[in-house]
Amino acid sequence: MEMALREAEGVEIYQEEFENTTVSFESNRLKSVESSFGQGIGLRVIKNGKIGFSSATNNEDLDLLVKSALEAASFGQHAYFKFPGKSHIPEVKCFDPSILSIPVEEMVEEGEEAIKLILKEFPDFRCEAELNKTITKTSIINSSGLRFSYNKSLYSFSVYTFLAQEGNFLGVEEEESSCQHRKWSNLLAKRVIDKIKFAQKKADIQTGTYPVIFTPKAMPLLLSSLKMGINGKLVQKKISPLSSKLGQKITSQLISIFDDATFPYASASSPIDGEGIPSRKNPIVEKGILNSFIYDLQTAGLMKTETTANAARDYDTPPSPSTTNLIIEPGDVSLEEMIKDTEEGLIVDQVIGAGQSNMLMGEFSVNLDLGFKIKKGKVVGRVKDIMATGNVYDLLNSTIAVGREAKFVESIYTPPIYFAKINISG
Amino acid sequence: MRSYFLSVLEKIHAEYAEIRYEEVVFTHLHFVGKELESIETSIEKGGNVRVKGKAGWSFISFNKIDNLSSYLTEAIKKASLPRGDPVKLAPVLPQVKTVAATFKKDPRKITLEEKYYLCSRYNRILLSAPEVQTSDLKYTDSHIMKYFANSEGAYIQQERFHIALGMTSVARRGDNIQSAHEGVGGVGGYELVENQEEKAERAAKRASELLDAEPLPGGKYTVVIDPKLSGVFAHEAFGHLSEADFVYENEKLLEIMRIGRRFGSEILNIIDDPTIPGEGGSYLYDDEGVPSRKTYLIRKGKLAGRLHSRETAAKMGENPTGNARAISYEYPPIVRMSNTYIAPGEKSKEEIISEVKDGIYACGFRGGQTNLEMFTFAPEEGYKIKNGKLTTKIRDFNLTGNIFTILSKIDAVGDDLILFTGPGGCGKNGQSPLPVSTGGPHIRIKNLLVGGK
Repeated sequence: MEMALREAEGVEIYQEEFENTTVSFESNRLKSVESSFGQGIGLRVIKNGKIGFSSATNNEDLDLLVKSALEAASFGQHAYFKFPGKSHIPEVKCFDPSILSIPVEEMVEEGEEAIKLILKEFPDFRCEAELNKTITKTSIINSSGLRFSYNKSLYSFSVYTFLAQEGNFLGVEEEESSCQHRKWSNLLAKRVIDKIKFAQKKADIQTGTYPVIFTPKAMPLLLSSLKMGINGKLVQKKISPLSSKLGQKITSQLISIFDDATFPYASASSPIDGEGIPSRKNPIVEKGILNSFIYDLQTAGLMKTETTANAARDYDTPPSPSTTNLIIEPGDVSLEEMIKDTEEGLIVDQVIGAGQSNMLMGEFSVNLDLGFKIKKGKVVGRVKDIMATGNVYDLLNSTIAVGREAKFVESIYTPPIYFAKINISG
Repeated sequence: MRSYFLSVLEKIHAEYAEIRYEEVVFTHLHFVGKELESIETSIEKGGNVRVKGKAGWSFISFNKIDNLSSYLTEAIKKASLPRGDPVKLAPVLPQVKTVAATFKKDPRKITLEEKYYLCSRYNRILLSAPEVQTSDLKYTDSHIMKYFANSEGAYIQQERFHIALGMTSVARRGDNIQSAHEGVGGVGGYELVENQEEKAERAAKRASELLDAEPLPGGKYTVVIDPKLSGVFAHEAFGHLSEADFVYENEKLLEIMRIGRRFGSEILNIIDDPTIPGEGGSYLYDDEGVPSRKTYLIRKGKLAGRLHSRETAAKMGENPTGNARAISYEYPPIVRMSNTYIAPGEKSKEEIISEVKDGIYACGFRGGQTNLEMFTFAPEEGYKIKNGKLTTKIRDFNLTGNIFTILSKIDAVGDDLILFTGPGGCGKNGQSPLPVSTGGPHIRIKNLLVGGK
């Protein structure tokens, strides 16, 4: 800090130290135990009004770190902000110290338990599973007097169950994660088993337009476009399709979405963002009306507005706006009621080809890796070898119902959602 | 390093242990629109130990090399946890080698100023076409020192430069937003990113022209794909299925993937080859110290081989191919592709297109994915073909198919092989992006499912 301050008017040091352990199961059995002990430091400077950045993993390279950041600043972007000083930082639940002491043997047992339950029902399948625990210590100090550090823990469990039969591969993926240690063996096994049961029968579907239910697991396909649309950086560059739509209706009024880094024990929760701004809950879409974009300091400065505490980063990347926990407010309809309501339609659960279409415009065109057909209010079997195509904003505008039971899919909290139409070709 | 690593490895008792260590310095420039978004240099140093127990592995990665011995002791303890079928390694002659970087211009000797001016020149070109709203230009050069030692006595030290330049133009007319991308790079020096003005121009022009393209209705079409797409096709539609770690412990899948099975016609050959110099996935030794080599995945339409680590090769009684790769010291090596391509055939591009009465010509790629049975790949743009001629320009469509039937639908292979690489790469088991090259000639596929409007 002192070294950098000799030449720069503003300095920020962002440091991370982490420790994690993963147990991996392959072909139904424990195959490897992996750990990492990592650390790194990111240095951001403002020199002659311009921003420079550099990062390093080891303390022996600090001189080079400072020199590189200062050199970068001579070409860097003009800074439209000042580093923030001290402020009131809320207490956010994102650390469970008991995760530190979970023995590897216990993680192995949890994995074995889930696999045993699945194989009992479906002995021909092969299971892969991964359990991970991570502890991260993050510190930030800057030349405006901010000095803060916090601990964060994360525990996650994923299972992939797979059967290869000529002309009929079936793979089901389920996962959970939280800042708290929770036992998910039974829950994950049950979800996998239920889906394999539904997939036992094959069903046909003709090319056409159908009502569709997206399970929580499939929702990120739709939300990744929205995440780009609300990103202050893309708004600033005038390539977000939402750039001129603040205060306007962009989805059905059934949809409300928040960005919330204060959500207790959620995977993207933290007391501050990557620039030391206190975390908060931001309404993004309120009953279909676009309420806010998300910003970090620099992008907000460029847009002459305030940061929304959405600076995302690691030690080795400079901050950039990104969502934290994206929360879709649950509705009041159960999944069963949605299925019952459908005369002929489908459920989308897993897709391949997400993120390859014109995502900015909200386009998607995906192969249904795992999808089910509904006929006369009942799930009748798996549909396969078909493409589902549509536009995220059209879909969100055609919402029929928002589900009651929400869950986290990585950092997105979402219920299943029932939409009026999707294009199917096969 | 050698004496240090070997002395540490000598003291331990393990069936097999290895140490990898890396020192990477990279410089990164990122332009978005008229502005330089970020410019940075990073210095990363870290390593790992990997120990084989009777029935599995343990792996520890770290930044502080001073604790190497204690990490090894810990890893040996954890390696005894897995139970079940024994894990064996295919024998490989332990190599003691020092590999120097190959390059014409050392990127470290080019000033930051010079890199800045080169990138801003390309960036101005990216912004120069009508209706282009913004650009995205990413430049990264890295100097990589990799050290490898194992308990069998191998010691390999490899130095290399990897350089990549990605250039995207984004055009906008109202709600219609279109982008076009060009990428260059590979294992080599600064010369790989010089003189790329023409590619920048192409990206700008394509993005701008895409605004006038029409969406395509979904359905089944005869599709001619260009070399960029045929590379993705080789990688997604077949390459991943050839990675032995997907099949080596799965008897059912192995039955389906038996060597000699016919997948396509005689004209089809698919190859993975890390020994081609200067590409994204070029290397002499993989991350298990195994010498790299060329592998035929499909020869004359039949399954001819697969990609191996030492473990998968031993389990399947086949030869190791040197395809165990890790994206960095933070990850263990797993079976990966390198430079994967469809070998050229005899027809010219013009012939292939002229023989199509009613179909589409798809070019450029935005990405691809597979679940081992189905795959998708997304072109950047295309044209309708009517009576052998390119007609209307089309956009926003996605190609999909079943790996086991698709290769037999290829009825023409062109004579114009080109390999591509750039920033980004392949993702598998959380390790992404791994630098690879993909390529092929123009090929024609009958009856391919296309997702469109």
